[in-house]
Amino acid sequence: MTDCPNANVRDLLPDLVHGRLDAKARVMVEAHLAGCADCEAEHALLRDLRASLRRTPHLDLAAIAAAVPAYRAPMRRSWVEWRTAAAITVLVAGGSSVALLQRNVAPRMDTVAVATGPVASVPASSSESLAAHTTAPRSAPGQTQLPEQVAPVLNQPLVASAPVARGPAASGRELAMGGGSFNDLSDRELASFLEDIESLDAVPSVEVDNAALAPIAPSAPRRATP
Amino acid sequence: MTDDAGDADEQTDLDLIARWKGGDQRAATLLVERHAGAVARFARSVGARGDEQDVVQDTFVRAFASMDSFRGDSSLRTWLFTIARRLLLDLRRSERRRGEHVEVQDGDAVTEYDSLDSVVAEETRQRMFAAVGRLSKTQREVFMLRVSEGLSYKEIAEVARTTEGAARVHYHNAMRAIKEFLDD
Repeated sequence: MTDCPNANVRDLLPDLVHGRLDAKARVMVEAHLAGCADCEAEHALLRDLRASLRRTPHLDLAAIAAAVPAYRAPMRRSWVEWRTAAAITVLVAGGSSVALLQRNVAPRMDTVAVATGPVASVPASSSESLAAHTTAPRSAPGQTQLPEQVAPVLNQPLVASAPVARGPAASGRELAMGGGSFNDLSDRELASFLEDIESLDAVPSVEVDNAALAPIAPSAPRRATP
Repeated sequence: MTDDAGDADEQTDLDLIARWKGGDQRAATLLVERHAGAVARFARSVGARGDEQDVVQDTFVRAFASMDSFRGDSSLRTWLFTIARRLLLDLRRSERRRGEHVEVQDGDAVTEYDSLDSVVAEETRQRMFAAVGRLSKTQREVFMLRVSEGLSYKEIAEVARTTEGAARVHYHNAMRAIKEFLDD
């Protein structure tokens, strides 16, 4: 069986078999078939193939039809539904922001609590330990600054370190202040020193939100940051 | 079984779809009766073996569930073929993942159609099945859509995810291969 060189007609033969040609094309193809043995043979082959290949498998059509779902029109959202969705979105976003802010604030409050504590319980006579407890926390980044009336006094190496140590242990005792003692001070220096003591607050008046400090108890274990 | 448009009902597919959307489930039944056979034949031509019922049913369920996405650019039958083809590909892919299926290579396709020989009595019919069975998977799919279902090259390209030109080449190569096999 050879192929006809007229590819256009051969392309239309399956359509002729299925009756899908319009009248004009059908007349043209049938006229060609009348004079072309190759195309007539191919046309006959296509009819046989179609008859053979159209053997349909057995199907349970009732079961298939029963499985077809009923039509459900797509839901069209109303204006109220859109507004409700928008409100929920805003609430969720706002709540997430507040939660995030609280998480960022909590470590700062924790640091303040550490900074304020040692000042009240500093050892009486050690200038080194006083400096360690008062100046070290202040130098850490992100910590709350001490009030202005406290800072100048604490920054004085000799005079400011001793008065913080309040209590009976300091009275009449020689202090390690650059190798000197109270006995070396003149009356004016001693009076000035006492004035400084009076002007010094034992506990820096840092404004701390007690409510924020409450959940961060000093004894509460903190989860280590990975 | 009736599966040619217009044989069971004078209404077009779009008319029946509109009736079904209006709550007439009988319209869906008519569409199933009209197209199920063609979908089953197509499913067999692209690899369904014994599970045509499931493939056809899943095809219709999926088609009706997403009927709003059918815009009528192509015929409903072409759209159903597209869905069935995608279902079969997914099915075979999942079977391969589970190791339940040995993929039929192009040269092995004769075996698939040989199983039909005991059912088909005439020697001519046997030879035709054998001839089609020797085609590559793509050639067989295109040839079946063109000869058995009468689809145009444009419709075949849509179903088989190819171009009209490629579909035409596959058809003529398939036709030549069948002629050569039958002439031997």
